[in-house]
Amino acid sequence: MTKTGMTKTGMIDFRGVNKWFGSLNVLKDITLSVEPKEVVVVCGPSGSGKSTLIRCVNGLEAIKDGDLVVDGQRLGDPATNMTQLRTEIGFVFQSFNLYPHKTALENVTLAPIHVRKIPRAEAEKAGRELLAKVGLADKVNAYPAQLSGGQQQRVAIARCLGMRPKIMLFDEPTSALDPEMISEVLDVMVAVAEEGMTMMVVTHEMGFARKVAQRVVFMDAGAIVESGTPEEFFSHPKTDRSRAFLSKILRH
Amino acid sequence: MLENFSFRTIVEYLPLFGQGLVTTVWLSALSFVGALIVGIVLCAMNLQRGWLFRVPAKAYIDAVRATPLLAQLYFLYFGLPRLGFVLPELVVGILALSLNSGAYIAEIIRAGILSIPRGQVEASVASGMTYVQRMRLVVLPQAFKVTIPPLLGQAIVLVKDSALLSLISVSELTRAGQLLASDRFMPAEGFLTIAAFYLLLYYGLKGLAGLSSRWLGTAGART
Repeated sequence: MTKTGMTKTGMIDFRGVNKWFGSLNVLKDITLSVEPKEVVVVCGPSGSGKSTLIRCVNGLEAIKDGDLVVDGQRLGDPATNMTQLRTEIGFVFQSFNLYPHKTALENVTLAPIHVRKIPRAEAEKAGRELLAKVGLADKVNAYPAQLSGGQQQRVAIARCLGMRPKIMLFDEPTSALDPEMISEVLDVMVAVAEEGMTMMVVTHEMGFARKVAQRVVFMDAGAIVESGTPEEFFSHPKTDRSRAFLSKILRH
Repeated sequence: MLENFSFRTIVEYLPLFGQGLVTTVWLSALSFVGALIVGIVLCAMNLQRGWLFRVPAKAYIDAVRATPLLAQLYFLYFGLPRLGFVLPELVVGILALSLNSGAYIAEIIRAGILSIPRGQVEASVASGMTYVQRMRLVVLPQAFKVTIPPLLGQAIVLVKDSALLSLISVSELTRAGQLLASDRFMPAEGFLTIAAFYLLLYYGLKGLAGLSSRWLGTAGART
C-alpha cells in the first residue's frame, strides 16, 4: 500500500477536515491526531458532529476538504483501496447491526472467511474464542433476535475483533442499551483497550473515559472545542460550553 | 336448467383437461423461472446509480405495467414474425409471460432489497465487503425471505395470465375448455371445469406460500 511520505503521522490524522450536509457545516476545520494504541473518547451534545467524525475514518461518510490519513493512507486518494483499509478498522454501531439471518458465530466469521479469506475451520475456532472472550461461549449458535441488547453488542464487538483490526471505532455503543446491560459492554471495551487497540469512542460514559482514555475530545456544533486528559477535562473544563455540557450529563 | 349440465361430457373430456392442466403447469413454471431471471436483471439495472442502465430498466417496467398483457402477447405473436422473427407459439407464449411477469417481479425484488435496513449495508461495508459480497452474503438472503410471499402471489397471477395463451392456440387448460365449449356447444361445462382446475392450482400455490412462511418463520427472525 502507498504510504504518504509526509511528516510524522498518527494512526488517524485529521488535518483541517471539513464536511457539509447541504449548507450545514457538520465538521469544522477538524485537526486531530490519534496515536497508535491511544484511546480517545469523543463527547459532546447531540448534533455536535461526533458520530460524523468517526464515520469519516472508515469512509462511511466522505469528507469535503482537508486531509484524513488513516494507517498511512489518505482517504479519497485514488491509490487508497478503501475496502482493503476497512478490513483494518472495526466499527461498532449504536444499533449493533448484527446480521439477523446469521448466528452469533456466523456473524463473527462471515467477514474473516469471505473478506480475509481465512479457512472456515480456522475462522470458526477464532470466532468461538472471541465469543468466549466477550462472555458468550454459550450463545455461539444463537440468532441475534434471541439475544439481549448487551449480548448483541458484545457479539458486534467480537465481530469486529474477528478481523484483527488495527483500529476500533465505537459510535455510542451503549446508548441503545438498558442501564443494567451497559457495564457488560463497557467491560469488554476496557479489555479491548487494555490489549493496546487504537480506539476512538463516541460515548458519554465518563467512567469508561476515566478508566482507559488517554484523551477526551469535546465537540460542539461541528468543531473540537476542547481536548485534554480525562482528569483535566472532567475536573477543570476550560470552556463554558464544556462546563454546561458536563453539568448536564453528570447531574444524573 | 341444471338438468342440462352434462357431467358425462366433462368426464369424457377429462383426458383433454388433464393434458391442458399439465401444459399450464409446466409452461407457467418455465415462465416463472424466466420471469425471475428477467426480474433479477431488471432489478439489478434499476438499482444502479448511473442512468445508463437505470433509465432503460424503468422505461421497460413502466411500459409493461402500462399495457395489457394481451397487447404484448399479440405484438410478440403477430408483430415479431413481420419483423423477421418467427417463433413457435409455445415459445412466444412463455416469452410473453416471462417478459411481462419479470417487470412485476423486478419491483417485488427491489422492494425486498430496499426493505433491508441501512445499518445492514453499513455493517457489511465497514467490515470491508465489496458490493457483490454484501449483496450475496447480507442483503439478498434477507431480502429473499421478505420477497417470497409476494413472489408466490405473482406466481398465482402468472398461472391465471397463462389462460391468454389459448388465444394463440397453445393447448393449455383454457384451450381445453374452449374446445369442449365449441365441439359440443357446452360452455358451462367447459369453463366451469377449467375454473375448478385453476382453483386447484391456486390452492396448491397458496399451500406452498404457507409452508414457506412457516419455514421462514423459524430461522433467523428479525430483531
